[in-house]
Parts: sequence; C-alpha cells; structure tokens
Amino acid sequence: MTDPNPLASLKTLEEEALGAISGATDAGEVEAIRIRFLGRKDGRISALLKGLGGLSAEERPVIGQEANRVKGVVQAALDAKEGELAGPAASQEYDLTLPARGVWRGAAHPISQAMDEIWGIFRDLGFTRARGPEADTEWYNFVALNTPLDHPAADEQDTLYLQDSVLLRSHTSPVQVRTMQTHEPPIRIIAPGWVYRRDTYDATHTPAFMQIEGLVVDEGISFVDFKATLAEFARRYWGPGTQVRFRPSFFPFTEPSAEVDVKRVVTRADGTREETDWLEIMGAGMVDPAVLENAGYDSERYTGFAFGMGPARIAMLKYGVRDLRTFFENDIRFLSQFAR
Amino acid sequence: MNVSYRWLKALLPTLEMGPRELAEHLALRGAPVEEMVSPGEALADVVIGKVITAGRHPNADRLSLCTVEGPEGVVQVVCGAPNVTAGKYYPFAPVGAVLPGDFRIKKAKIRGEVSEGMLCSARELGLGQDHDGIMELSGEFTIGESFVGALGLDDTTMEVEITANRGDLLSHVGVAREAAGPGAAVEFPEIPGDPGVSAGYVEDAVRAEAGGVFVEIRDPDLCSRYLGAVIRGVRVGPSPAWLQTRLRGAGARPINNVVDATNYVMLEMGQPLHAFDLGRLGGSGIVVRRAAAGESTFTTLDGEERTLTGDMLMICDATVPVAIGGVMGGRNSEVEDDTVDVLLECALFDPKSIRATRRALGMSTDASYRFERGVDPEGMRPALERAVAIILATAGGALDGPVLDVCAHAFEAPTIRLRLARVAHVLGVPFTAAEVTDYLTPLGFAVDGDGDGILTVRVPGFRSYDVTREIDVIEEIARAHGYDDFPADLGAYRPGTVRDHPMFHLEEELRGAFVARGFFEAQTPAFVPEGEGDVRVSNPLNALEPFVRRTLAPSLLRRAEYNLRRGNRDVRLFEMGTSFRRVGPGEPPEEINHLVGVLTGRRAPDHWSGPSAVLDVWDLKSVMEEAAQRAYPAGARVNPADGPAGRDVPWVTARYEDGTVLSVVDADGREVGRGGTVVEGAMDVPAWVGEVFAFEMALPAEVIPTPTPVFQPLPQHPGMERDLALLVPDAVNSAAVTAVAREGGGEILREVGIFDVYRGEGIPPGMRSLAVRLHFQAAERTLKDKEVDRVVGGIVQRLQEELGVEHRG
Repeated sequence: MTDPNPLASLKTLEEEALGAISGATDAGEVEAIRIRFLGRKDGRISALLKGLGGLSAEERPVIGQEANRVKGVVQAALDAKEGELAGPAASQEYDLTLPARGVWRGAAHPISQAMDEIWGIFRDLGFTRARGPEADTEWYNFVALNTPLDHPAADEQDTLYLQDSVLLRSHTSPVQVRTMQTHEPPIRIIAPGWVYRRDTYDATHTPAFMQIEGLVVDEGISFVDFKATLAEFARRYWGPGTQVRFRPSFFPFTEPSAEVDVKRVVTRADGTREETDWLEIMGAGMVDPAVLENAGYDSERYTGFAFGMGPARIAMLKYGVRDLRTFFENDIRFLSQFAR
Repeated sequence: MNVSYRWLKALLPTLEMGPRELAEHLALRGAPVEEMVSPGEALADVVIGKVITAGRHPNADRLSLCTVEGPEGVVQVVCGAPNVTAGKYYPFAPVGAVLPGDFRIKKAKIRGEVSEGMLCSARELGLGQDHDGIMELSGEFTIGESFVGALGLDDTTMEVEITANRGDLLSHVGVAREAAGPGAAVEFPEIPGDPGVSAGYVEDAVRAEAGGVFVEIRDPDLCSRYLGAVIRGVRVGPSPAWLQTRLRGAGARPINNVVDATNYVMLEMGQPLHAFDLGRLGGSGIVVRRAAAGESTFTTLDGEERTLTGDMLMICDATVPVAIGGVMGGRNSEVEDDTVDVLLECALFDPKSIRATRRALGMSTDASYRFERGVDPEGMRPALERAVAIILATAGGALDGPVLDVCAHAFEAPTIRLRLARVAHVLGVPFTAAEVTDYLTPLGFAVDGDGDGILTVRVPGFRSYDVTREIDVIEEIARAHGYDDFPADLGAYRPGTVRDHPMFHLEEELRGAFVARGFFEAQTPAFVPEGEGDVRVSNPLNALEPFVRRTLAPSLLRRAEYNLRRGNRDVRLFEMGTSFRRVGPGEPPEEINHLVGVLTGRRAPDHWSGPSAVLDVWDLKSVMEEAAQRAYPAGARVNPADGPAGRDVPWVTARYEDGTVLSVVDADGREVGRGGTVVEGAMDVPAWVGEVFAFEMALPAEVIPTPTPVFQPLPQHPGMERDLALLVPDAVNSAAVTAVAREGGGEILREVGIFDVYRGEGIPPGMRSLAVRLHFQAAERTLKDKEVDRVVGGIVQRLQEELGVEHRG
C-alpha cells in the first residue's frame, strides 16, 4: 500500500510526535514516545520510510530527505525533554560546587608592600626614587650630614664599620648628599633601602632594616611646606580622620627638627571606633644649612626639608605584628597572610 | 634624666600644670616623658612607727617580738627582720592597711603570739629591691604621721628623654625653664640651715693659692677653668630628710651629706662637682694635667682599675692623680666617714676630651654625660656656692679662706645676628621683633633690636653649645611658638630634576613576575658567617656572623630549611639584595644587586581531579629564563654550565651539584647567574623533602633598557608545518639540533619547536628520538610544497653531515 501524500503524513507525524513529547511528564513516557515514533521495527517514521520503495525515482530523494529531517527534529526534542526531566540532580558529573583547579598564590614581603604603599603616596605627591651604596664613607654618613664623630649625637646610631672610614650606612641620608652633588634643585626624592646599626636582635631592633628617607630642596621651601607635605602623607597612609602632631626633636642634619606622631581612628571588631595613642612614625625637619653647603648648594638661596621612617615599624603598627624578628623568619605561613 | 615633680615645683612656684599635663607640655617642647612613677600612691596607709621594745619570739629563733607605737597606741608585732632595734623609727603598716600588690594587713597569730601590723622593708613598699631588713629611718619623726608625707614620697618621678644637643636639660633648672610660662622665673629654694657664708674669690689664669692650698691648670685646652673651695671640720654622716627626699625623687641614692650636696647641685643646676678629702691630697693642692708617662693605671672610686693614656686629663695632687677629670674620682682621695677637711671642685672640661676619655675607658658617668653635652660656663660660681651652703648646713665645718678660681680662658657669651626676614623665609610665617623677644627671653636669651629687621641675640652660657648660628635661634622661635601652631597648607611645587631610578622598576618587575608564579618574597639581613662573604665587619656585635654576604643563596636556603622543618612542604622563596665584594684595601666594597630563588614541592595545589606533579628542573629553568629575560632583555640565555665555576663566581655555592647546573649568560657571553639542584645533605631537612632547586643571578649594574617593539605586518599568506623524527646521538644536544635547523631553514623558517623526546624500544642505544616541528611562512607569497620540501631536505642533510643526526621519517 502506498501513501498517497507522504509529505503530508510526515508533517502530521512531526506535529503528533512533538505534541506528545511536550506533554510527557517522566522519562518512561519519553522512552515510550521514542519507541512509538522512532523504534527501529515498528516506529511510525521507520514504517513510513520503509514504504518509500513504491515511490517514483523523482519523489524518493525528496521524501527521504524530509523524513530524515523529521527524524532529526523528533530525536532532538526527545533528547531535550529527557535532559529537562532529568534536571540538575542527574548531572553530578558536572557538580560545579567542587573546588576549582588551584594555582599557587605568592606574595611580596610585607615590608616591600608597606614600602610600595608609602612610595605610591609620595609618587602622587611628585617624588621620585634615588639609590646609593649601602657601604659608604664616614664623610657621607656623618660629616656631610653635620654630625661630627666626636659629638654625642653620633652615639645615637652605633655604626658598623668595614674599614677605617668605610662603614655600613646607618641611614639612607648619604643618598641625599650624593643626589644633591649630582643634581641641581629642585630636588624631590625619597631614598628607600637597607640601613645597618650595631644592634642585637630583639622585638624592636635588628642590625639591618629598611628605611625610607625623603628630601625636598628648592627656593622658598618653608616649615609650612614641610608640615603640609608630611601631614598629607600621614593622612593618606593612615586614613582620613588621622591626627598628625609635630614635636621638636634633634637631628644633626635638620633644623628645626621634629618627630612626627599620628593618632589614628581604628574600628574594633565589634564595630566601635576608637582613637589610638600618639604613635611616633618619623623623624624629620628643615635641612640644616650646613648640609646644603656640604653638598654644594647655596643655603641662602635654597631651603628644604628631609624626613625618615622605618617601613618595618610602620608595617608592625599597620598589620599588628608584635615582634620585628617575625619579618626575618620568612615563615611561609606568615608571608602567605600578605597574599593579594 | 629623672625629674622630681616636687623639685620642679620648688624651683618654679608658679607651675600650675600637674605631672600629666607637664609631660604633654614637655613633649611639645622636645623633651618627651618616657615614664612616670609615683611610688607614694600605693602607700597611703603606711605610717611612721617607733619600736619601743624588741625581744626574741618565745617560739621561734628567727623572729622577734616587738612593741610598736603607732597611730592607735602601742601594739604587739611579730617581726622577721634581723635589724629591728628598739628606739628606732620604721615604716609601719597597721592592721587594715593595704600595701602594694593589694596585700591587706590583718591581725594574726604567728607561732602563738599575736601580731597587729607589719614593719616594712623597702621592697615591700615598692621602693627598691632591698629586702635584707626593714627600712630604718634616720631623723626625727612624729609617731603615727603619714610615711609618704614624712619622707616626701608624694612625688612623681618623670623620666625625661633629653636629646643629645640639650645638655642644659640635664638639670631640674633646665627643665623648669622649659616649663615656665611667659614671665615666670626660676627661683632657687632656700637651703634649710644655710649659714649664708661668703669668703670671696682669689683669681688667676694659671695658679691660685690661699691658706696653704693651691690649684694649678697645666692643660688649659682641656680644662679652661677650675674652682676649688676648702671646707674644714665637716662631720660626714647621713643627710637630713629633705635632702634625701630630693635625691630619691630624682632617682638618686643618698650616700652621705658631702657627696649628697654635690649630687644635689648636679641634679638641680646641671653642674657636676667633686669633693676630695683634702687630708688625702699630697702637697695640699690640685694640679690639672694630662696623665704622665708611668701613670698607666688608676683606681677609680668604684674600685675598678683603669688604664690611662697620655691623652687623658687627670686631676692630680702635687704628685699623683686623684681623679679622672670630669669622669670619676679616685679611691685614693674619696670622702669617707672620717673625712674632716674637704676640697670641693667645680671645673669646666672640654666636651670632646671628656668624650674621648670616657669612651677609651668604656665608661659613662653622670658627670661625663653632662660634660660631653656641655655644662654652663656661667653657672660655676653659683653652683659651687650652693654646694658649699648645703655642706655647711648639713655637715657643719667652715669655709676656709677665699675660693680658688683659676680661669685660663674666660667665657664670652656669643651673640648672633638674627634677620627677621630669614625667620619668615625658613618658617613660612613672619614674626615681629616683639614676638621673637617674648619667645626667647624666658629661655635665657637677651634680645636687642636695631629696628631694621635685624636683631642681636645674646646666648646664655648653658645654651652656648647648641645655639651658635642663626638657624639655631630660628629653631628656638619655632619651638617656643609651638610646631602645631604653624599652618600646614599644601602649596604648589616644582617637579624635581631626579629621574626615578630604573633599578626600582626592574626590581618591581621581577618581584611582580615571581609573585605571579606563586613565589613568596623573603627579606634576610646581610650578615653571614665566614665562608659566605669576603667583606668583614670590623666591630661586629654578633661574632658568629661577622661578614656581609657575597652570595645570597645560603641565607635563603636557611629560610627554606626553616620552612621545611616546620612542615611547610611547598617552598617557593625569592629575594633581591646586595652582594658585597672586596675590591681593595681602603676602598668601599663593590655592591651588586642579586636575585636569588629556591623552590621545592608541588607544581600546583592538589586538585580532586588528580594530584599535582612535583617541581622539576624544567620549572627551575623556566623561572631562570624569565628572570634572565627581564633583567637582560637583550638576549640572555640559560644553558647547561660549561663546568664547575671558579671560586670567584659568587652565585655558585658548593651546595650545587655539578650535574644539573644551569648557567645564565648575558648577551655578551658573560656568566651572570647559576642554578641547579641543591646537593642532598646540604640542608638539614626532614626525610620527606624531595629535590630542592635554587638559583642566584646578578642583576646588571645599570638597568638594560628593553628594546621598543617595532610593529611587523601580520602574515597575509598561509604558513606550512613539517614534522621531523630525528635520531640524535646522546653527545648532541637539542640546542645544536635546533640551531642547525634554523640556519638551514633560511628566512622562510619562522619557528622550530621540539614536541617529543623518546628513548627505548626501536631506538638504538646511545641515541634518542627527537620530534621537531618546523613552521614555514613567507611574507609575500604562498609557499609551495616543492619549495618547502627542498628546504626540509637541506636541513635534514645538514643535520646528518654536521651532527650525525638521522632522519627517521
């Protein structure tokens, strides 16, 4: 028996099948539909295809192609329905709550991070960075900086010597003198780097530590510029609301000299806000005219200010580290706390 | 400097600030208070008790049974101290009193006897460590009065930090001057019992003599002035309570009335004095001179034998030294209990000489500390007169004749020219002549104005050491005005002439690259044991690490070891730091910035889909290549090392195994770094630790600029790939194979890659199979198979002829 209008029958079959699939409510029903329409033996589309033998040579490829299209559409609808009914529970193979593939996370040393943060603020305030040797001469470390070796002020920095007048710098101030010797004003630099003192290791001392010093020299730089720049730094580093205090002090290379203190507002774990005590964060002052003269500048024409701070001490205050030696143990369980 | 608040208040009756407020004020004047102690606060319940009788406890050998008269009459007290004596006064804590440490005194029965109170030791009162016995009080007291009041313990001792320039603040007068408000003046409190004697002075530039006693200065450069007062007929004994109280309040220990008088004046006025037993000075005189040849040792009054040199200034009698001038007196002339006649010294020593002497002797005393920082040259006579008054009032005796005053160089007060325009220029705020005068006068300066904006400032003697220039006076104005009262408005600024140093950029780039690869940055100090450096510290504090390092790897390996021993299994550390290399005698060492790394453990964290592989030599080579390319952008290479490096190559330590050593070579062929496997046993680590890799590389002395990329047009024509399976003898390395391929490939060969290395079945022994992929491409045309085939054929032929490499297909 030959179907008089196989194309119309195929169309009807397609509609019937899709209707049945969309109404199916469980996997068994879907399977039954699959057998009913696509079953190899008695499936209705298969049966229709078997009947193609009686068609003319012109008709056969047209009908065959259409039958295959319908078969594909029905097959896809069945698969989609099956997936829909199975739902997410069935795809444990794709349990996306499982941990992702990991990569090692490294970290810059916390003191590097503190230095970087400090540098970032000074960069924004127009500073650049300068470097110099860690082993230097007495002249650069003391004499040029207006610190006679026979004055008690030299005791404050008990110094490690390599040879007669060659020492491990006790501050990065020699970089300031070297910079002024090789550059014309305006000078606006910071000098980060290692410095050395004759100290034993304890919770607040190490014989080698990082320091950041700064120097500004130009015409017309005054005590007001000095205060303004460092107060601006302190507020940017320690956060808005930070109070800044300048106290008179003594350093042979600055005059007037000052200690800079900050009082921060910290937020406790319970959300309450609290003021800290005054924390000493740097020594600073107007550059002593003798230092400018020693570096070859005219101290009547040029004035300036200088400052120095210990990033390790600042990191201790900022991160709550109690013992300076922790920074040098380099325990990965410590360092990894600073991964970002 | 320990400052007694009560003493300050006595010097400055107008002082209204309490101790806490004063501490804040002093901090803002440049003399912060480190600590404040009020020992009397916890002793309100303690009273003066008098022991009436003291006998043995019937049931205990070591205890006494006493009767003590206190505020409530006579009570019985059991006492364990060996020194309890009838008729003496002691601090007494009656029943109900609370002592420091919240210790409440109760009525108790001790070995069967009732005890109603406690006689106290200094330690029990928190007044010292003395626990040998109860604290016996000398002097007259009212029974039952407050112990704190009777001893003047209702005081606050303030530990004031004095900067090295302010020798004048090492005295109560100096601190009082800083505390004084405008118009307030320091007054010296009266000495109780001061007989008010004055005998005048006999002056000379070299030698003065009176009443058979002489003073002579032979070294006027080191001692410009020497005053000597002779007091005869003193009775050495304990000082009266007021004097002891003053000294205790300032943290000093009372000794005897003569010594206490000198200490009182030093603490009050800042002038160190010394009292000699005149009877023990040979020839009844003082000669001020350097130690002579033969005077090689000297015993100071602390009993130490000191080694003298000819540079040291000594105070001598007619024949031998009796004191190290300005540092410490001698045993041989010390005032003792039987001293009758005293010579009181008030001298002015050269600060630098004092400093050199006391450093050479490895000591520092209250006197040397002050002389080093400068003692008031105008305050000598007042200080000596005050000390004489105290001795006469407390030890009796009489001033014998005029005071000897030998003055080699008279002090002249410096004057400084102060330009008001300069003040405004430096401080950024203008000050008037009147304001400047108001600020400087209370500090002891005398200001004269010429009306043309220029002032003349006379510096007082006690500030003549640190105020010598105009800028020093400007600082005084800023200090008196108050730093916090200056504005802090950020103004415009000009950019500096200094370019940001490129080495910081390279360091940042390397730091970022290593952190991105999962490394942790370490920081280790430069001090190392012998063998890791050739530059020695001449005065090391740590004898175990007397060198600064030439190589950083050992320090970092110790940090890796530290981590591995604490169970941190995956260790990836790097550091950048300075390597010091000896150059020549008298020259500073050469400094080279090094990069060092160590890695061991897993390549990545374990994942549930499968465990991670462990790091191997290819990971090492990868990080070394990245570091090399960043530090030496113009063509650095990482290759197998030619052989063991000599001792002069600092980045190789003996810890590396020769077999797997990689070498970093810069574009000029200089070796700049090495890396490899750390030799087993070189680190003390747990058995589970696998291979550890390390490398060290010198960074260039000057940063090598990275070439600016030049745009290459993108290929317009398709490329072509050819794979070659090559049989390569073991003696030929892969770099040689790829190099030959590159040469043979000409300009159409764009890339040569190795995608497999195989040994084993089908491969003859001594050979390996290398799978090489060649990528061809021409810019202007589409390549033809025939052309590429011909080039590949050429490569195969050259490989065969030059390296003995066979083409397998």
